[in-house]
Amino acid sequence: MVVGSTPAGREGVRADLEQVFRTTYPRVVGVAARVLGSRAEAEDVAQEVFLAFGRSSVPAGQAVGWLSVAAAHTALNQVRSRRRRAAREQVAGDLDAVCPDVADTVVTRDERRRVRAALARLPRRQAVALLLRHSGLSYAEVAAALDLSPGSVGTTVRRAESALREELNRHASSD
Amino acid sequence: MRHPTDGTLRRLLDEPAGVADADREHVARCPVCLSGLAAARQDAAITGAALDVRPDVDVEAGWQRLHRTVGSTAHRRAPAAARAPRWRAALRSPVVAAVAVLALLAGASAAAAGNWLQIFHTERIAPVTLPQADLVALPDLSAYGEVKMTERANVREVADAAEAERVSGLTLPRVAQLPRGVRGEPTFQVGDRTSAEFTFSVDKARQTAEAAGKPLPEPPAGLDGSQFRLSAGPGVAAVWSAGREVPNLIVARMAAPTVYSSGVEFATARDYLLSLPGLPENVASQLRHYTGDGATLPLPVNARYLTAATADVHGSPATVLTSRDGVLAGVVWVQGGTVTAVAGPLSADEVLSVARGLRWNR
Repeated sequence: MVVGSTPAGREGVRADLEQVFRTTYPRVVGVAARVLGSRAEAEDVAQEVFLAFGRSSVPAGQAVGWLSVAAAHTALNQVRSRRRRAAREQVAGDLDAVCPDVADTVVTRDERRRVRAALARLPRRQAVALLLRHSGLSYAEVAAALDLSPGSVGTTVRRAESALREELNRHASSD
Repeated sequence: MRHPTDGTLRRLLDEPAGVADADREHVARCPVCLSGLAAARQDAAITGAALDVRPDVDVEAGWQRLHRTVGSTAHRRAPAAARAPRWRAALRSPVVAAVAVLALLAGASAAAAGNWLQIFHTERIAPVTLPQADLVALPDLSAYGEVKMTERANVREVADAAEAERVSGLTLPRVAQLPRGVRGEPTFQVGDRTSAEFTFSVDKARQTAEAAGKPLPEPPAGLDGSQFRLSAGPGVAAVWSAGREVPNLIVARMAAPTVYSSGVEFATARDYLLSLPGLPENVASQLRHYTGDGATLPLPVNARYLTAATADVHGSPATVLTSRDGVLAGVVWVQGGTVTAVAGPLSADEVLSVARGLRWNR
């Protein structure tokens, strides 16, 4: 694995942006989509995150972890920002009617809402570890991205899964 | 042997090779751990199902979108080395400098010693029509002290109206009806708050006065070294350009300019600055007219190119500027601490019609 930052190009954007984008974009969108349940919103998050990455000097070898963590935080922040959610859901609701989102076929919108809310209630580190692991990052990659010891990744993920199940059960029974 | 941790059991599900042989062997023979493993498997399955979102992603389209954004922001942001001189040049240009000086001068006398106090907050804009000669003769702030940019606008394009509103914190109105010839969807731009700090220097003011062949009037006590902070923004704009260099229509909003003082008696500073040699009398007299309430931002209008008129937009007094060649028009007004402007290669009637037809609920 090559670890080294890429100097910014003439436009102030790192030279390896396109290469990193093409290899990691689906994964980064996937991380955000697991939180937001909407491809369109997840792509917005990914754009934001890649733009920040393009101006950063994050070593290339840490790109996947950095981008995934940034996408998870940005998406979770959006969920917590209730005002924006309300506004966007209104718009997304209109759009979904025209262009059905892939996510719609997997989980119903109500279930998505419950998952979103449950994720947002988890301790942030647990939620991010969970998202990274379920987005296909290895234990070693999650450990490096979150500055955890590899041994504690399993513990964090296990606690997060248990907490998520409880959150989902609690809200399923209260609905 | 002690039971492996829950974390080890969890990893056994995903990466058994990452678990020590002794732990694996223990779990295989231990009913307690097997039970724990089953619980972990169940929770992992529930979570996996809840997070099973696999969007069909178009990488090429995504890259093109990012590429456009990078290009448009790089165009405005970079290179950093070119940006600073442009700002300094802007501050030196007569019109911008005049706005800064006017904002600086237009203070109320509320400033007191101590912390930064807001001494000016734009509630209205009034055109101050000045002949070209006076505008050119108008000294910029650096003639009176040090000007330091502390926050830069960083104007950039964003994906959509919602993002523009989120970033800027400002509501962007909808245009009810586009003027004839303006078509398509707008692009959205945002800019952060811009701030500058001005430190008054008696030495610099004296140099400016001497350059004008006049002695410097005796400065009031405490003015030398006193500081003012000017800020404006954040801002947001919807731009209809149809791919052309010059937009067909711009609807923009910006948090109105404010001025803070580090503690000088502002009326004293204002009167003194207006008495300085180098400030054309025509300018000084118009400024005196507007500097009483600390809420009216005089907008310098170059009489050679523009004419100014007043109008009413939703009950707020507005300034309508029209280029003398009749090609460009704009209208600007202040409401609730926010400056709103509509401008384009349109007639005054057209920009007013757009301004009055703005809808504030998306």
